[in-house]
Amino acid sequence: MKRTATQVTTAITFALLILALPVLGQRHPSELSSPPPLSFKMPKPVMFTLANGVRVAYIQDSELPLVWVLGYFRGGSLFEPGDKAGLAQITATVLRTGGTKIRSGDQINEELEFIATTIEAMGSAEFMTVTGSALKKDFAKLMEVYADLIMNPAFPQDKLDLARNQSLEAMRRQWDRPTQVSNMLFQEKLYGADSPYGRRATPATLTAIVREDLAALHKRFFSPANLMLGVAGDVSADEVKATLNRVFKGWAKAKVDLPEPAPLTERADGTIYYAYKDTPQANLYLGHLGVRRNGPDQYKLEVLNNIFAGGGFTARLMKELRSNRGLTYGIYGGVMDGRDRGPFMVASQLKAAQFVEALGIIRGIIRDLQTQPVTDEEIETAKNSIINSFVFNFEQKNQVMSQFMTLKLQGFADNYLDTYIDNIRKVTKQDLLDAAKKYMDPDKMIIVVVGDEKRFDKPLASLGTVKSIDLKALMEAERGPQK
Amino acid sequence: MIIKRRINLSGILLALALAFGPALLTAQSLEEKVTIHTLKNGMTVLFAERHGAPVFSTLYGFKVGSVDEYPGITGTAHLFEHMAFKGTPRIGTKDYEKEKALMEKIAQGGREWSVELAKGEQGDAEKIARLRAELTKLEQEQKAFIVKDEIDLIYSNAGGTGLNAGTGTDQTMYIISLPANRFELFCLMESERIRNAVLREFYVERSVIQEERKQTTDAVPTRLLSELFMGAAFIAHPYKNPVVGWASDINSVTLEEAQAFKQRYYTPNNCVLAVVGDIHPESAIPFIEKYFGDIPRGEDPPPFRTVEPKQLGERRVRFEFDAEPQLMMGYHKPNFPSKEDAAANVLAYILTRGRTSRIYKDLIQDKQLAVSVSALAAFPGDRYPNLFGFNAVPRFPHTVEEVEKGILEHVERVKTEPVSERELQKVKNNLDASYIRSMSSNFGIAMTLMEYQLLFGDWKLFRTYRELIAAVTAADVMDFAKTYLTPENRTVAYLVKKAKAS
Repeated sequence: MKRTATQVTTAITFALLILALPVLGQRHPSELSSPPPLSFKMPKPVMFTLANGVRVAYIQDSELPLVWVLGYFRGGSLFEPGDKAGLAQITATVLRTGGTKIRSGDQINEELEFIATTIEAMGSAEFMTVTGSALKKDFAKLMEVYADLIMNPAFPQDKLDLARNQSLEAMRRQWDRPTQVSNMLFQEKLYGADSPYGRRATPATLTAIVREDLAALHKRFFSPANLMLGVAGDVSADEVKATLNRVFKGWAKAKVDLPEPAPLTERADGTIYYAYKDTPQANLYLGHLGVRRNGPDQYKLEVLNNIFAGGGFTARLMKELRSNRGLTYGIYGGVMDGRDRGPFMVASQLKAAQFVEALGIIRGIIRDLQTQPVTDEEIETAKNSIINSFVFNFEQKNQVMSQFMTLKLQGFADNYLDTYIDNIRKVTKQDLLDAAKKYMDPDKMIIVVVGDEKRFDKPLASLGTVKSIDLKALMEAERGPQK
Repeated sequence: MIIKRRINLSGILLALALAFGPALLTAQSLEEKVTIHTLKNGMTVLFAERHGAPVFSTLYGFKVGSVDEYPGITGTAHLFEHMAFKGTPRIGTKDYEKEKALMEKIAQGGREWSVELAKGEQGDAEKIARLRAELTKLEQEQKAFIVKDEIDLIYSNAGGTGLNAGTGTDQTMYIISLPANRFELFCLMESERIRNAVLREFYVERSVIQEERKQTTDAVPTRLLSELFMGAAFIAHPYKNPVVGWASDINSVTLEEAQAFKQRYYTPNNCVLAVVGDIHPESAIPFIEKYFGDIPRGEDPPPFRTVEPKQLGERRVRFEFDAEPQLMMGYHKPNFPSKEDAAANVLAYILTRGRTSRIYKDLIQDKQLAVSVSALAAFPGDRYPNLFGFNAVPRFPHTVEEVEKGILEHVERVKTEPVSERELQKVKNNLDASYIRSMSSNFGIAMTLMEYQLLFGDWKLFRTYRELIAAVTAADVMDFAKTYLTPENRTVAYLVKKAKAS
């Protein structure tokens, strides 16, 4: 925003006054006059569809001589076979490192790295994502390799072995970090070890994967009509269209069938899962199922989460557990959304000697939200924070593009961003009370804690049913025999 | 290393901008965007205009970090950084005069309690409990006059994002981004903090930092290894101390010590502010003058004395932990700006950055001895002579010994065989591109400007960095390796898995 000449004059006048006052003569921020309105036009990508069905989101950004590319294919670990968990990620890795029918992986590495161009692929729960970035002069080269990789990956055996060996080593090491262990156990207990949402790749499932599985997964997901491709940067729309039409030429359409995973059912029953590890803190994850994405109460939950846990030091959990009591360095959580249902959760690494006390405080904070309206100041701060920081979603053009694409892919309405602020504004204290009652149940929450119970203030059994998890046994069962 | 006030932000956020080398192309355009303004009290303010979204990012730093601490007060730079969020005589209080009286008692009670705590096993447990209880009572009384975390509250209401701070070996920095119509609010808030931070809730925050140390160091094998390594690589220079501080010091540092540390280093003449985004310097400077202009200049920080003596032989340390093995090694070398530092940056890239780097291709892709090896060109800080080195993670069943041997073969090769022109050009192309990419965010630009100005006295040294890198030849890389990457200049630390009990 431009500052007007009048404001500058005012500032100088104040400066003279201030100088005459003692050091403490400064004002409190509330005494500042209200700021001038912010004028702001939301930048919007344009969309077009190529002849073969690829949908393209494009936004121009000529500030720097750069281009970013972001491609989403529907499909991911939710749709992989359970006995081959990890297949989506490993397919993505080898798609990138394994090269194509006409370019070896090593040759691609040499070509791209010399010109500081990157292409990376990953498999997440719902999408296979392939990103790229280059200097604008190398846009054509970037897209040629990008298209070749997604259309004609070679999936050679040596690169599959490399990717698998790397993942196996990461799995050996996942037990070294108590925070990671508690998160892993929580996902499993919350969603169920057999659910596509809760299962995890193990040495056994990784070892079961063969080259043909990668090719089959590729064939299933990597089809033009299943791709949404974003391009942001210092290239014109015409150049983007011409380049994409050229590089994707001959890419055959195929039908993509993604059967929805079985719906989640609530498994949380108040059980406490305790895993012993010789570590100084109590590593906590607790919760039960949360909500489906894009649901009717999403704005209420956004404000509620901000007050509960999401708003940094103004949130109740952080204020009470960290700032008032010094029991932790950080605590976060909230009622999260997901394709089916996300988690309602709280996570923190807590002072072991006051762990049970801390757990009581967390429960108390949840119950308060269900029984007492939040204060006027809290709801105002939460809404102001969300509304006034909204412009930060548009600071970078490539971020505008990825946000636009994610919203489209996840089924949000086209006017979602245009109506967002108004929807937040409408939320009332009563809405928050209702949402807390509807979506939080402190009696049902499962509690996963990794640590050393001997260091806790009270035995866990004083809280309810405790099931012990033997980490060493679990680790050894997953790893198999070691020399 | 930089540690932060808040939890688990991306490591990229505070990665040192020195890792990027500028490109001549956009170096020019950045220089055109920058305005520098120096206040009479010595504070330096840098602006870079970017009129995209109506927002701006700010970053200001004091040239003080863990390197300025001494035994007994390690961790104090970081501790004070936490305390800077507790308010001022105006912000965070309902009645400052009443608070002040209580805080004097808290300071005294806290000191007595800390003295007893510092005795460790010899301390009088009963006395410790009694003193803690008295302190708690005073803290409860003060609570009635505190407006909780009002700095956070005010910035949240204004739509601020990314309120945070970080402490490193060399510097302490404070960060906030705001909508463009809130520049005066920023000036008011931050000038208040710099002028007169009030150390409310000191002993509660000290407890938060104890938990922070446990969470981010004591439970993290890589961080424990790094602590052990630094302690061995430096025997005199304070780069040997962890930024977060040793547990004993965190447990006993007092409010007065934190206050004294602040007074010595938090002066406008030891501060650089960078403002980047939708802000016009000509209309912003009057606000800067109005709010920051009358903060009194302080004494210059005391001169730094300790010089690390020349290493006389290889040092090897190891520890056992319930975790898979890792290794760290390092060699002493000159810091920026120097020809040697530039050669180190180029070499680090050639050895381990990207899938075409020498060590990736050999040890990770072909022999598969390791899952990761990273060369670091300049750590743990840049103000004083530092280290070139490696972090490496072996792949089972390969050992740290095998990985060390593999890395050393590459180090030896650099001493006898010049790196290729294509490798040199690849590094330069990539450092140029990284720099351009860092220019795509307000925060990235602020970081570059602030750091060069604060640590080296001139923001334009970002161009010097580029020039030094561009001038590196194959012979320079070889000379660097021959001179510095020698066994007697080397420290190696291993983390090995604890042998099974029973």
